[in-house]
Amino acid sequence: MIAFLLRRFMWFVITVWAVQSLSFFLVRLAPGGPFTQERNVPLHVELAQRAKLNLDVPLYEQYFGYFGKLFRFDLGISDRQPDFTVNEIIAAGFPVSASLGVLALLFAVALGLAAGIVSAVCRGRGWDVSIMAAATLGIAVPSFVVASVVIILFVFVWPLFPAAGWGEPANLVLPAFCLGAPYAAYIARLSRTGMLEVLSQDYIRTAYAKGLSTRAVVLRHALRGALLPVFSFLGPAVAGILTGSLVIEKIFAIPGLGVHLLNAALQRDFTLMLGMVLVYTTVLYSMNTLVDLSYRILDPRVELT
Amino acid sequence: MQAIGRKLFPYLAAILLLLAAYFAVAGERRAPADFTFVNGTEIKSIDPAISTGQPEGRIIRALFEGLVNWDPRDLSSTPGVAARWEMSEDSRRITFHLRDDALWSDGTPVTADDFVYSYRRLLDPLTAAQYAYQLYYVVGAEKYNRGQVAVGDRVEIERFDPPSGAPPHARGELLRGTLLEYAEAFVDDPAAGKTELSDDEQRERLRRRVRMYTIEIDGEARRFKTGVAAFRDEPEFDAYEPVKQVLVDFDTVGIRAPDDRTLIFELNNPAPYFVSLTGFYPLYPVHRETVERFGSPDWMRPENLVGNGPYRLEERAFRDYIRLAKSKTYWNAENVKLDVIDALAVESNVTALNMYENRQVDWTPVVPTVILPELKKQDRDDLRVAPYLTITYFRFNVTRSPLTDARVRRALSLAIDRPEIVDKIMRGGRTAATSFVPIGIEGYESPDCCQHDPEEARRLLAKAGFPGGKGMRKLTLLHNASEDAEKLCQAVQFQWHDTLGVEVELVRQEWGTYQEKVRNLEYDVAIAGWIGDYVDPNTFLDMFVTGGGNNNTGWSHAEFDAIIKERAPRERDPEKRLALMRQAEEILLAEMPVVPLYFPERNYLVRTYVKGLHNNILDVHPLHDLWIDEAERERQTAPRRKR
Repeated sequence: MIAFLLRRFMWFVITVWAVQSLSFFLVRLAPGGPFTQERNVPLHVELAQRAKLNLDVPLYEQYFGYFGKLFRFDLGISDRQPDFTVNEIIAAGFPVSASLGVLALLFAVALGLAAGIVSAVCRGRGWDVSIMAAATLGIAVPSFVVASVVIILFVFVWPLFPAAGWGEPANLVLPAFCLGAPYAAYIARLSRTGMLEVLSQDYIRTAYAKGLSTRAVVLRHALRGALLPVFSFLGPAVAGILTGSLVIEKIFAIPGLGVHLLNAALQRDFTLMLGMVLVYTTVLYSMNTLVDLSYRILDPRVELT
Repeated sequence: MQAIGRKLFPYLAAILLLLAAYFAVAGERRAPADFTFVNGTEIKSIDPAISTGQPEGRIIRALFEGLVNWDPRDLSSTPGVAARWEMSEDSRRITFHLRDDALWSDGTPVTADDFVYSYRRLLDPLTAAQYAYQLYYVVGAEKYNRGQVAVGDRVEIERFDPPSGAPPHARGELLRGTLLEYAEAFVDDPAAGKTELSDDEQRERLRRRVRMYTIEIDGEARRFKTGVAAFRDEPEFDAYEPVKQVLVDFDTVGIRAPDDRTLIFELNNPAPYFVSLTGFYPLYPVHRETVERFGSPDWMRPENLVGNGPYRLEERAFRDYIRLAKSKTYWNAENVKLDVIDALAVESNVTALNMYENRQVDWTPVVPTVILPELKKQDRDDLRVAPYLTITYFRFNVTRSPLTDARVRRALSLAIDRPEIVDKIMRGGRTAATSFVPIGIEGYESPDCCQHDPEEARRLLAKAGFPGGKGMRKLTLLHNASEDAEKLCQAVQFQWHDTLGVEVELVRQEWGTYQEKVRNLEYDVAIAGWIGDYVDPNTFLDMFVTGGGNNNTGWSHAEFDAIIKERAPRERDPEKRLALMRQAEEILLAEMPVVPLYFPERNYLVRTYVKGLHNNILDVHPLHDLWIDEAERERQTAPRRKR
């Protein structure tokens, strides 16, 4: 296990280096730069801004300079938000996105699993059909539509929650719901499929033959098997959900990280973009490793390599 | 071990999730502010020297104060840090007399030296301030900002390290002398053997520039060099000492502080609007001691920031909110009514509207235009409509055929039905343009333009050799991928095709690429917008002088240049000067390198109990002028509380 983790870590370092290097050069290839403004700036100002952002030195110098600082976990000052360092921006946004993500996930797993199990057990009956219809809808309807509907319902028609903002528990409910809904739908479908497959296995028949109740069979014996596909989905899903959602964060004015991944690229905020890529790489990589570990725990036959 | 792990796993996972959920909802709530408003996108900076936008302005105006303030009713200059000011006979010297009771938030007095320091900082090429040109009216300021020197000039040499004993982020040690010789060299010159350079080559060339100075200091000739380290340190330049920069001596720039309370500006030309300009926030002062001690960005943190404005920075949560608290040291504190103000960073206008309608905020400065007709129908008394000093227009690339022909450009303009676009396509929030300079500048009357005349348009196009659009190549119309721009361009595309038979292809580019293309003249027609910096037609017209940084049309007109650059600035009589401006605008509209389309209005929602918020064409609403009618607020919020 420790050897496994060490190996993983080594690959992690290599991955980060490769992804960062690629991103480093790619952002510099795009037209424009962090100094591009709505108004055209005179050449001497632009050159001064370039110099200020250390973009006027040769490329290799920028590259080694960047990695030198990266080793000390210093991502530099944001090119477009010069009042903050990238470390500060991530430190401010990540807990927000993560909090929201965890709630959304909690909701998605609870609802999704319950729906999936009920659906599989009641296969072909009314419950199954309506749950799967709802799940298909949940996957197909984009989150901004879901958000608009819940805002109309729960902010204006029945004023239970604030329209947007951050800082109070009530602010979390609607965005967490909107963020979690499509994941819940996926999980419902996955766990239903997994469950159906497990339910047709011999050992389930044995369990029934022993005289166990449906409930005991489903919860004690079948559930674990049904969880495997859900877990492999959860790895990347958690990475996505923890680093925030552009649409949901914008609609609900949430100061999370989701906006940066796209905006930093669009605005050519080189330092912030590289920082965001680093965060995303790290979270995705850790989640995949965790998923592999949890396979091992859920199913002892799985070997860690 | 593994068996235990397997048993515990679900419980562990559950506990972890619950813990995370707890952290998600835990945390302190902040007490409600007296006034909460939506401030748009997270501000770029609170450093006056490098900020440029509206949301930034709202915060900077609260934290700092300039020499004059703008009266929000008519934008006239009222005393700020300066209690009074006077102009010399020839109106080329302005003397400001600072008030005695202007204090920084640390209790020390605001002095004339603070302004000299701040203006030098704004002009310092290393600050890379976009708005540095606002000070170009001052003698020597442009030369200083552009780093231009000439033999015989008194110069200042800035070394890399601050003098010993100076704060860590102070300027480098300064030497002063007289320039004896100046030379520049380009390492691996990309221009070698070329006659014409593209913008990119020009940039690359300047990057490779090494500047060499021979300067007489105390009777001794010494040699210095500046440039990017990698190029500067080539062995051939070894005889020169590397320094940070060499500029003309700041003492030669026309900003002086003869004593703590007097600040004198010497101007190149009489500039009647210069006094008003000192109320523009990039010209606000910063606190030297904190800037030099903490450096950027640390000096702007709430715990370090020292300002001289009506408010101080209490908290700043990135992309969340900025909390302002009334400053006790502000000279006019007794007239600042609101104690605590929250400025929320909300990117989406629709979200802002939701928050306003849900009574979470008292003011939202921008209403989404799609909803505007609906709001207007409701006939509400909290919706305000204000003219605004801004225009949306098309640029023509006059270097590309057939747009080289002014008749073609005029025909294209005449074929646009602006009222239809404004009313039916964009659905309100704008006024059809009747000139290039927006309506609302006092004393200035724009020449008329922009009628819709399809007959004349077809006639002009036929005269130019394209009857019914025949023989005309397909034009491209470049836009910046915003929803509004797309709608507008589609409407014009249709009208041009319908009226003139001219085919247009829409080209959608994201912001950065769009700007590169416009700047490099890689387009036929491109959408554009401009917001005035100050209340004078000059802010709209001077961008079209030959080679102007925002011209971007390739258009050049000798008479236009002469008026904008020579005749108008020299004209002392304000009325005659405006007449000259009008003449320049007539030329612009006859030649039509640009097609005015519409003047966007400012629409905003503000509760009727908020007082002191006035419409003006710069959309400036100083927070310290606001107050709240508590009785009215009570009346409005009471029914909701009961529910």
